[in-house]
Amino acid sequence: MTRRSSPRLAGYAGLAALALVAGLAAGRVELVALAAPFALAAVIGAAAGREPRLDARLALDRERALEEDEVPLTLELSSPTGASRVDVLVLLPGELQTARPNPRAVRLAPGEAKTIELPLRCARWGAFSVGPTLVRAHDALAFHAWEARLGAPAPLRVYPSIETLHALLPPFETQVYIGNQVSRARGEGIEFADVRPWTPGDRIRRVNWRATARRGELWVNDQHPERNTDVVLFLDTFAEIEHDGRSTLDLAVRAATSLAHRYLQRKDRVGVVSFGGYLSWLLPGSGTRQLYKIVDSLIQMDVVLSFAAKGVDFLPPRSLPPKALVFALTPLLDSRSAAAILDLRARGFDLVVVEVSPIPFVHPGKGDLADLSYRLWRLARESLRARYERAGVPVVEWRDGVPLNVPLEEVAAYRRYARPARA
Amino acid sequence: MTLAALAVLVYAAVLADAVRRAHGLGALVAEIGLLGLIFLALVLWRSLEELLPAAMVCLGGAYAVSVIVHGASVDERAPLVAAGLLLCCELSAWSLDERLRVAVERGVVGVRAAALAALAGGALTAAALVVAVAAAPAGRGLVWTVAGAASAVLVVALAIRAGRR
Repeated sequence: MTRRSSPRLAGYAGLAALALVAGLAAGRVELVALAAPFALAAVIGAAAGREPRLDARLALDRERALEEDEVPLTLELSSPTGASRVDVLVLLPGELQTARPNPRAVRLAPGEAKTIELPLRCARWGAFSVGPTLVRAHDALAFHAWEARLGAPAPLRVYPSIETLHALLPPFETQVYIGNQVSRARGEGIEFADVRPWTPGDRIRRVNWRATARRGELWVNDQHPERNTDVVLFLDTFAEIEHDGRSTLDLAVRAATSLAHRYLQRKDRVGVVSFGGYLSWLLPGSGTRQLYKIVDSLIQMDVVLSFAAKGVDFLPPRSLPPKALVFALTPLLDSRSAAAILDLRARGFDLVVVEVSPIPFVHPGKGDLADLSYRLWRLARESLRARYERAGVPVVEWRDGVPLNVPLEEVAAYRRYARPARA
Repeated sequence: MTLAALAVLVYAAVLADAVRRAHGLGALVAEIGLLGLIFLALVLWRSLEELLPAAMVCLGGAYAVSVIVHGASVDERAPLVAAGLLLCCELSAWSLDERLRVAVERGVVGVRAAALAALAGGALTAAALVVAVAAAPAGRGLVWTVAGAASAVLVVALAIRAGRR
């Protein structure tokens, strides 16, 4: 423990010495009497400098929580020697808030163990470390203080809340494995597709007897098979805009989590690519384990400032499988990610751009110049959007507070009437 | 705030007593005391704890002037003044400690109040003892001077040691 003595201890000794010398010089006992209390306090202060022994243990009720959940944190504080006053501060990240006082000062009798309950409200998703605890023990008159960091930090993963998605966007093409998505191709399945003349190898059970009776030759039913899809969540982490503790990255992560959860429920394979200053990816996979892997990777995402030129070439081919439906979640703030999205389109990926709108986070400055620059910035964004649309890429704007279903419906409507063009 | 007000109150009480006793030099004593009061205000307002000894030196100086002006007789209220000075210091320091935004348990406040009361009581007793010993007829002259000088050396040594920590 680090010891720190109050400056008034030296001050008292100095005052006592001064009064004593003055009393001797002036020959007045009153001045000597003035010295006595300060000398006494200095002696008591010097004698009180005995280091207390403290122990603190931090325990979280659980290691995983959802946004807006409350996680009880328990701090057990004990001291075999006792302490007149112990100031306790549990170091908390800004995203975890507590209504209970932190820091607080408690008294510990010798051998007494005190339990402090701190219910933590998880205000934002992320991977956090709760603690350690900063303690500062004082003697009864606060002549000395001993400071230390106690208690090992406790990890806490806060997962983003998931939006309920009513309908998912079907991809243009499906993969070869069994799934829940009705494929556009024809083969073995449940959904009726068409009738066609019988060919050797067709099963008798597929013969359409009505069509056969009408045409006088064997006709068979064709079905659409149920296949799985590959979905890649392409997150632009080059830049973000933040305001009032909320940011475009927050929204993008929330959207990605909701989409991953819903597509994985449908037995599809989902992968993640974080395209930004720090490049990371998670190969497509399916199942609950993949969901946890995705969410774990999403909550560790952060915007890392980088000026390095980066393109889709930097990504391993397996992270972007052929025929995959790619959701690009981007605030369209960085030219590198804008170019990479066009590159993906040029490579023939089934691409959807969900523009996580930074407009609500931006407040134009005052004055003509600020107003002009703001309008120019918005025009530049419009122009970029038009460029995507010319390439046949649906771009939908998604704002904070709007359900994610809305942009997905917009994309579905767009895809009903538009076909992808060559970029 | 309460602690700061109490500290100022104690200071004002000691100063008022010194001014009352100073007779002809009341204005000078008041001026010295007011200078100290400015230091105390700075301590309490701007959290400049290092100015606390300066405030006490001013108040002690004002009291010394009043005692010297008053005459040769020993001031019986010297122990109260001495305890008042220490109490003013401790209340100011406590007031500064409480400015940190820490939720304090009742027990913690009680312990410090009890310790302060005990210190004030001890200070009063020590000062009264000094006055009482000085009033005793035995051992006047050289013995007292030597004892006083030894005490001064001891306290100065203590001050140096405390300052080094």
